[in-house]
Amino acid sequence: MTTAFRFILRSAPRFRVDLQGLLPAADLSVTALGNRRVLHGHDAIALGDLFRIDEQPAGAEPAFSFQGDLSRFDRLGAGLAAGRIAVEGDAGDYLGLQMTGGAIELDGSAGLLAGCEMAGGRLHVAGNVGDYAAGALPGSMDGMRGGDFIIGGNAGERLADRMRRGTLVVHGDAGAFCASRMVAGTLAIGGRVGAHCGWGQRRGSLVFAGAAPALPDTFVPTDYDFRVIWQLLARSLAKRGGVFASLAARSPTRHAGDVAAGGKGEWWIAA
Amino acid sequence: MSSAPTTKNMAATEIVIDDTFAEAFPMRATRVVITAHNLNWARIAAASMTGFATSVIACGCEAGIERELVPDETPDGRPGVAVLMFAMSSKELAKQLERRVGQCVLTCPTTAIYGGLDAGDAIPLGKNLRYFADGWQIGKMIDGRRYWRLPVMDGEFVAEENTRMTKGVGGGNLLFLARDTEAALGAAEAAVTAMRGVPNVIMPFPGGVVRSGSKVGSKYPAAMASTNDAFCPALTNLAKKTELDAGTRCVMEVVIDGLTDTDVANAMRAGLQAVIARGVDAGCTRISAGNYGGKLGPFHFHLRRLLGEGA
Repeated sequence: MTTAFRFILRSAPRFRVDLQGLLPAADLSVTALGNRRVLHGHDAIALGDLFRIDEQPAGAEPAFSFQGDLSRFDRLGAGLAAGRIAVEGDAGDYLGLQMTGGAIELDGSAGLLAGCEMAGGRLHVAGNVGDYAAGALPGSMDGMRGGDFIIGGNAGERLADRMRRGTLVVHGDAGAFCASRMVAGTLAIGGRVGAHCGWGQRRGSLVFAGAAPALPDTFVPTDYDFRVIWQLLARSLAKRGGVFASLAARSPTRHAGDVAAGGKGEWWIAA
Repeated sequence: MSSAPTTKNMAATEIVIDDTFAEAFPMRATRVVITAHNLNWARIAAASMTGFATSVIACGCEAGIERELVPDETPDGRPGVAVLMFAMSSKELAKQLERRVGQCVLTCPTTAIYGGLDAGDAIPLGKNLRYFADGWQIGKMIDGRRYWRLPVMDGEFVAEENTRMTKGVGGGNLLFLARDTEAALGAAEAAVTAMRGVPNVIMPFPGGVVRSGSKVGSKYPAAMASTNDAFCPALTNLAKKTELDAGTRCVMEVVIDGLTDTDVANAMRAGLQAVIARGVDAGCTRISAGNYGGKLGPFHFHLRRLLGEGA
């Protein structure tokens, strides 16, 4: 039996709340969820003191929906493997940290490290995300390593640092050091990017659909008939809509780099 | 192939359909999609890849062009060709696929190749061919499918990492017994044309037609197959057993491989109906099928049942 619950925020907590481990599952109840204790600053607090929780009609898979400003709630959906989480409002840091499956829909903005080390599933943030989104935790070798991550607004600095796999789409702008040390994967950007984009990029594809970036000296033009792979890539990204919808009809230029890191990364400039 | 006993109703006004069946075998099968800059080059690649793939007896696999694809049907929006390949084992299918893609598709100008089945065990397509790029290969995962991009002299050869393998059916067949060569060819060509409209099947012999139908075994121990003497007009009055009457001077066979037994049955039915529709006056007087007495292959396609008789 699947279960669905709605969490309505009573009032903003005084301290940050850690929601690590609070994930949709088949065997939950309102009582059990209300009694569940989560870190609130240095203390623990019952979820029932933070949210009014009620059961919702069950769908095809376990689901949570949150209502309210959750910008002080960290690690929302961390480790999610299945089920759905929807948030009407903002979220704190580490949204979807290391998720491997399921789906998270946030209709507001998220804090730092959103989608950090995510390995699967779908993470959709309608608003903005802070720095280090889709990146790696300090000391970790790989950032985002699978799944679909869609950002409707802008992203902060160090977006996709050490990203290794998966598809990351930003409809707005991205800050400095975007795709720095990127290992592989696909990053599509609908707006502008900040300084030092692709610094140390080893492999992976960056698609610029909105504004042409400043080309670093360590990226070189590659002029050949690349229409086959471009069509495969563009048709996939077109499903994300917005400025990406018309990509397949465009004729991009391609640059390879960072040649200081092997030169197997690529920039598709289709602005 | 030997033939089961037939019931002959030699009405001169219609084509006789023997009360017999085609006997077919399980095979391993896959489909790949080849695209190119234009349909001509996709056809050339497919024809090259499926060359010398008429029979597993000596070719290692049976392969053919299933159909041509318009740009809307292919992953990269270019014209393409769907190819089906069948072999007697998973290992042999993988070996033949890799060799043929490596020598006939990778080498062919402007081509790309993709898996054409969504379910089944994975077998390598570009997975090992990527090493041809000598370290310059680039892997790209798009929508859950991994592609390998190999720099080549006309740009880039794109190959999906794997295709899928399924259990197929090989050896469906029809024998067209006719008064002369023109009539037998006409019947076989009409059948093949009709069968090409059926999805999920190929007719792997040249032009879809085989004139050297075979039986299992030989008087020579080294040969695993030999001429189907019971259907050879030259031996009608010589062989110990013949299936032909004096008026039959030419026999042509169409062999069908399909992804499922239903596909093979649909193709055989289409072929039967096409030849029957031409009428006995076109020169094909009898339609039969080859089998091994029903002891070897688990798939039996009874001709009359295919036509809705005696089901």
